[in-house]
Amino acid sequence: MTWLLSPLPTARIAWLRILAYAFVPVDLLLNRWMFAHAQVPGELYAPLRIGRAFALPTPGAWVTWFGWALIAGSLTCLALARRERVPAWAGFGVALGWLWWQVIAFSYGKVDHDRLGFLVLLLVLPTVGRASRRDVGASEAAGWAVRATALAVVATYTLSGLAKLRFGGLGWIDGATIVQAVIRRGTPLATPLLDHPWTLTAFQPVLLAVELFVAPLLLVRWRRPGVLTGLVVGFLLFHVMTFSMLSIIFLPHCVALLALLPFERLPFRGHQVRARMAA
Amino acid sequence: MPLALSARGRWARAGVTVAVGGLLLAGTFVGVDDDFPFGPMRQFSTRADPDGQARSTRVEAVDTGGRVLVVPDTATGLRRAEIEGQADRFVADPSLLAQVSRAHDRLRPDEPAYRTVRVVVALTRLRDSRPVGDPVDTVVASWTAP
Repeated sequence: MTWLLSPLPTARIAWLRILAYAFVPVDLLLNRWMFAHAQVPGELYAPLRIGRAFALPTPGAWVTWFGWALIAGSLTCLALARRERVPAWAGFGVALGWLWWQVIAFSYGKVDHDRLGFLVLLLVLPTVGRASRRDVGASEAAGWAVRATALAVVATYTLSGLAKLRFGGLGWIDGATIVQAVIRRGTPLATPLLDHPWTLTAFQPVLLAVELFVAPLLLVRWRRPGVLTGLVVGFLLFHVMTFSMLSIIFLPHCVALLALLPFERLPFRGHQVRARMAA
Repeated sequence: MPLALSARGRWARAGVTVAVGGLLLAGTFVGVDDDFPFGPMRQFSTRADPDGQARSTRVEAVDTGGRVLVVPDTATGLRRAEIEGQADRFVADPSLLAQVSRAHDRLRPDEPAYRTVRVVVALTRLRDSRPVGDPVDTVVASWTAP
C-alpha cells in the first residue's frame, strides 16, 4: 500500500493529460476500420459480454457520429488540460466513451489486447484533481494514478506470458508460433528469416522470459531514475521491432508505457518565470 | 509536504486496484475474449506445431465484371482476423457472406458489387518450422448472389 500510494509530482499528471487526450483522436483516426463498422450490417455484430450486460445498441450509422463526438470531446479535454483544469466528469466521459468505442470495435469477431494500459490511464487521470505543469509538489493521488497505469502496463506483459502458458503450455517456447505469424503477415524485413526458422523460434523463450520476468522491473523504484527510462526505451524498441517485422503496433499500450517517464522534468516556461521571481 | 489522501480515498484506491487485479487474473486463467476488458491476453498464445500446418485466411470476391479479387479489410469494414473469428458462423451459414457484400456496397459504392464472396484458408505445410511447398487453398465458405 505504501508503494501504491507513495506521492509523485502532480505536474506529471498535467503532462499525461495532454498526452492522453491528444492520443485519443490519433487512435481513432489511425484505426479507420473502427469507423467502418458503422457500415457493416448488424447481422455480423457479435456483441461482447459487456455490450450485452449494458444492453448497448447494435452499431449502425450512428457509430460515425459517436466517433467524431469522442474526438471532439477529447480535443476539448486537451484544450482544458493545457489550461490545467479538466473537470472530472469530462475526463470520465472521454474514458468511458473510449471504452465503449473499443467494445464496438471488438464486437465483430476479434478482440485486440493492447488497450488495457491506456484504458486505465484514461480512467485514473480524472481522479487526481487539479494538476499544473508548474506544480513542484507531489500528491498521493498522483502517485496512485501513475502506479495504477504502471500496474496495467506490466500486467499486459505478464498476463500475456501467463496466457501463453495457459493456451500453449511450456511447449510454446519451441513451437512455430512466430514462424506462423511471419507466414501470415511478415514484412519484407521478416520473411527472409523463414529460411532460418531457428532465429524466429529462438526468440520465443526470450519473449516469454521478458514478459514474465523483465516487465515487473518497470515497477521497481530505482535509485537511479535512468534505469527506468532505459527499461521503457527498451520496451518501446521491442514494439518498434514487432512493427517492422509483423506490421503490428500496440500503440495505446506504448502511450501508457510513456506514463512511467518523469515528464515533470521537462522544461516548462512557468518554472523559469518562478525561478526569476525567486531570484 | 506531499498532498495526502483521506482515509476513504486511500481505501477506495487500494480496493479498486485489488478488484481489477483480481478480475484480470481470473480472466487470464479462466476467461475468454468475450470478457473484454478482463479477458486473457491471448495474442500469439497458442502453440503452432513445427511439423503442422500454418493457416492464413483471406476473403476473395468475384465482382460483377468477373474479376477475382482478394478483398482488403478496408473494402468491407471487416478485418481479416474478424472474418477468422466468425469463420464458424460463415461455415455454418454461408449466406451470411451476403452481408459482407452489402457492407462493400455501402463502403465502396463506386466499385462493381461483389457477386461471389468466399472465405479461403491457405495451409502451408511446415517441417521443423520451415515452410515446405506452396500453400494449398481451401474454400471453407462461399456465397453467390442469387
